[in-house]
Amino acid sequence: MRRLRWPTAPRLRAWLLWSAIYVVATVVMRSAREETGDSHVALLYLLIVLGGSAAGGRALGFALACAGFLAIDYFFQLPYDRFSVAKSLDWSALLVFLATSAVTSELVTRALAQAEAARGRADEVARLSHLGSQALNAGRAQDALATLAEVIRATVGGVECEIYATDDGAGAGAPAAQARVAGERHAASDDHALVAWVAHHARAAVVQADGTALRASAPGTDEDAIGLSAPDARTVLVPLQVAGRTVGVLRLADRLRMPLDPARRRFLSALAYYAALGVERVRLVAEAERAEGLREADRLKDLVLASVSHDLRTPLTAIKALAQSSAARGDENARVIEEQVDRLSRFVADILDLSRLKGGVFPVTLEPNTAEDLVGAVTRQVQPLLAGRTLATSVDMSQPVLVGRFDFVQTLRILGNLVENAIRYSPPEAPVELGVTRDGDALVFVVADRGPGIPVPERAHLFEPFYRATNSAPDVGRAGLGLSIARHLADAQGGRLRYEARAGGGSSFILELEALDAPAPEAEEAL
Amino acid sequence: MIETPVVPRRADAQEAAVRARTILIIEDEPPIRRAIRNALHEMAERVIEAEAGAEGIDLAAAERPELVVLDLGLPDVAGLDVCIEIRRWANMPIVVLSARAAEQEKVLLLNAGADDYVTKPFSPRELAARVRAQLRRGLAGGPPAAQSLVAGDLVIDLARRSVERAGRPIHLTPLEWDILRTLVAHAGRTLTHQQLFDAVWRRQFGNPQQYLRVYITNLRRKIEADPTRPQLIVTEPGVGYRIDPPR
Repeated sequence: MRRLRWPTAPRLRAWLLWSAIYVVATVVMRSAREETGDSHVALLYLLIVLGGSAAGGRALGFALACAGFLAIDYFFQLPYDRFSVAKSLDWSALLVFLATSAVTSELVTRALAQAEAARGRADEVARLSHLGSQALNAGRAQDALATLAEVIRATVGGVECEIYATDDGAGAGAPAAQARVAGERHAASDDHALVAWVAHHARAAVVQADGTALRASAPGTDEDAIGLSAPDARTVLVPLQVAGRTVGVLRLADRLRMPLDPARRRFLSALAYYAALGVERVRLVAEAERAEGLREADRLKDLVLASVSHDLRTPLTAIKALAQSSAARGDENARVIEEQVDRLSRFVADILDLSRLKGGVFPVTLEPNTAEDLVGAVTRQVQPLLAGRTLATSVDMSQPVLVGRFDFVQTLRILGNLVENAIRYSPPEAPVELGVTRDGDALVFVVADRGPGIPVPERAHLFEPFYRATNSAPDVGRAGLGLSIARHLADAQGGRLRYEARAGGGSSFILELEALDAPAPEAEEAL
Repeated sequence: MIETPVVPRRADAQEAAVRARTILIIEDEPPIRRAIRNALHEMAERVIEAEAGAEGIDLAAAERPELVVLDLGLPDVAGLDVCIEIRRWANMPIVVLSARAAEQEKVLLLNAGADDYVTKPFSPRELAARVRAQLRRGLAGGPPAAQSLVAGDLVIDLARRSVERAGRPIHLTPLEWDILRTLVAHAGRTLTHQQLFDAVWRRQFGNPQQYLRVYITNLRRKIEADPTRPQLIVTEPGVGYRIDPPR
């Protein structure tokens, strides 16, 4: 910022004032030159040089020193009123005066420049804190970003300031915020490729007056975000980073060239940091809003499921009750209606459960449970479906009770579905088998039948919703959701459900759950 | 010692045996209310109806019915709160109707004092059977619980603390006996896991509680003819256990 400039208005005043003081002092001392000694004269001129340097800078100080030199020689050294040097001693005195004046002037000027720089920094800090408060105070994150753009444009100068939000260098669309001098037209819309480049590489770039772009070869630093020397920059693009992640690009454009001196670079770096925080804030706010929206959608989904469940079951209950009382009076059609209501009820329950499972709103309660208790519950549940058929269970009673950590209700549904399927898809004379064993850390349940099995090409689709084996009867009373639900329920408890063709024909479904060691049996016997 | 009465085999005779003076139905949907009334009218001299929770509580207080059928999806008060409110001053059986088959909800209801629950869509026959069972318990005098239970060749005698199968004594551990005694004392009623914990461990919290299901399984191995097809101790999945009194 230190540059020799043509005197501006305050400087001109200093020149005039100190020239006048010089003239007055010379006239006063001239009248009393017989009484005053050389040293007094020199000291007074030195004082004037000092004052002039402080008020008007180096040039004024130097000019006053020269003038003092000439005045001492002309007015105050013998012979008077003539430019002459009588003795070599006088020469040296004159030169010492000149040197002292020059050094003094230089020292004063430097001290002043340092004070000036300090004032500049204080100013910078004040502007940055203003920017910070603007960024934090604005109510909406989007407004804060717009304010930031305007403050940056006003402080750094330039006609246009744009802030682009980019998602991890994925490219930039329209600017997230922009500020422009009133009446100024949008300058360069062809910078988009450059904005994307800056975002992707996290390095700065400038566009020069002739339209060519210069790209930084290395990332910028905290002190200098630009990291690129460009004497003729018209547009500057700086990557905006938060915690090492590029969140956006700051684009600053002017009609004239922008001086990118170190102070301005440093300032721009600090501004870029604020802009980055602004962009990040906008992103976080948007994310929070999206999360809130998702939560709301989830809550609504639960609500809809609950009310659909209620609204569907209520009429089904009424139809079933009416059909049952008609059937009791001997109406055969009513019995069919009742059966179909049961079928529809199961279908509704399955669809609701599947949507709950897929929506991830299906809580499982993992507790220590015994395999035998579960097998007993399965046999009780499928009893009405057996209609004279056999469900052969195998549990080794000579061994301690088999214990596992699983959700009793959901596992009952898995095994219930598997056994029900086995009953439906296998010939009536062949027994369906349900067995359980312990294999290492797993409790292994096997449901096996002697049905037709699943053809190899269809095995991959077995657990998909609405799948039904092509070799099965066209209507076996279910919607084809049982296996899909069973697989989801097994996954939800950290278990595994898979299919294996059974040796000797038929299917076997294998469910693996976490096994636990049974507690030590009670020591004492009673009674 | 009160023996469980020998029950006549003919169902008609059994139905005739239980008849209440008043049954209260609290249900907001008219068609369902009608279906319930049709299913239960033979079991009571009078069936009264309420279509909201507050009205139901008032009727229960004013009419003192021998049994309440309570729907959970009421427009004004949560069914659970109706149940809790009635239980504050009355102990007639409460049978709950629920559209949701959530086990957690059933547990809450039973812990709150409901006696049984039926999940919609229910069959009127099933509801009638549940209500009849509750009425039989309630009209028999309720709390003075059974002191012994006979199921086939199995005899459980609470007073003598003995269990015998075909005259041969069966040895139980103290915990197994406590569990069996609690279930027999409340025969016909589902006890939630929590209710069993409280009765057997008497609110001592500790590790053994989580193995209630293991103790039940061991108990079944001793007293059930086929432990994989339990006939005596019935599992209510996710809710608890029940001993069905033999018929």
